Amino acid sequence: MKKIETTCKLVMNHLCDNLGEDLDSPKCLDIKTHLESCPNCRSFFNTINSTVEFYKKYNVKLDDKGHKELLSILGLNEDDSNDDE
Amino acid sequence: MTNTSNKITDEQLIAEAIKGNKKALTEIVLRYEQTVYNFAFKICRDKDKAEHAMQETFLSMVKSLKQFSGKSKLSTWLYTIVSNHCLMLARSKKKYDYTVLENEDGLVNDKFISDWKFNPEKLSENQELKDILDNAIEKLPHDYKVVFLLRDVEGLSTKETSEIVNLSIPAIKSRLHRARAFLRNELNKTLHV
Repeated sequence: MKKIETTCKLVMNHLCDNLGEDLDSPKCLDIKTHLESCPNCRSFFNTINSTVEFYKKYNVKLDDKGHKELLSILGLNEDDSNDDE
Repeated sequence: MTNTSNKITDEQLIAEAIKGNKKALTEIVLRYEQTVYNFAFKICRDKDKAEHAMQETFLSMVKSLKQFSGKSKLSTWLYTIVSNHCLMLARSKKKYDYTVLENEDGLVNDKFISDWKFNPEKLSENQELKDILDNAIEKLPHDYKVVFLLRDVEGLSTKETSEIVNLSIPAIKSRLHRARAFLRNELNKTLHV
């Protein structure tokens, strides 16, 4: 079977498909090898990873006012909680 | 979404809430309010809209609790409801200004590859960076945004994401691929060194 050349384009497309998933397939092992020797693909991989991490770390906390308003709208009371601890 | 109490399962709480037990219903709300609010914010990128979507989500939950089949997890059901409420809020906007993601080749290219001047650890102290993230994700069409957030940010499986947004697994993979590449390219415009 003719071996398909691992190009930057192929690597980038495949990384987008598989980021965060199992990278142990033969195709991915080729890609890992390519990554080690290609600064362009490494940068692309790192920035895709950073993109996901940025959005993971960008969180907001519900404040006490919002929490109380929610319970009030639902006709519930904090003291009704089942949690006895 | 994580279960914060290991004493009583969600299924047990739902069964009790259906019988009219307010303590059980309150416990469900306390378990999931933060996650629902945070997820709504990530879609709406606006605290007031996120609070409104959260309230509507729990009102819908209470109204249709008896219809909850238990086939999927409570969290999956809540993600479905909140996604739909956020979509309704988005549709109520007067104009659509989403980017059309059509050209696959344009999304993934090897031009202008560079490292970034910010890293994710610096996010909490940087409002400028938060604005950049908000602006980039606002341009994504709703279903791409929800797929990216559920799969990559919330860490749900492809199958769970597929159930929530009612799309096939290949369609989820395609949207995820394109959303990641689009966001990466948008951020690269301002973050590259």
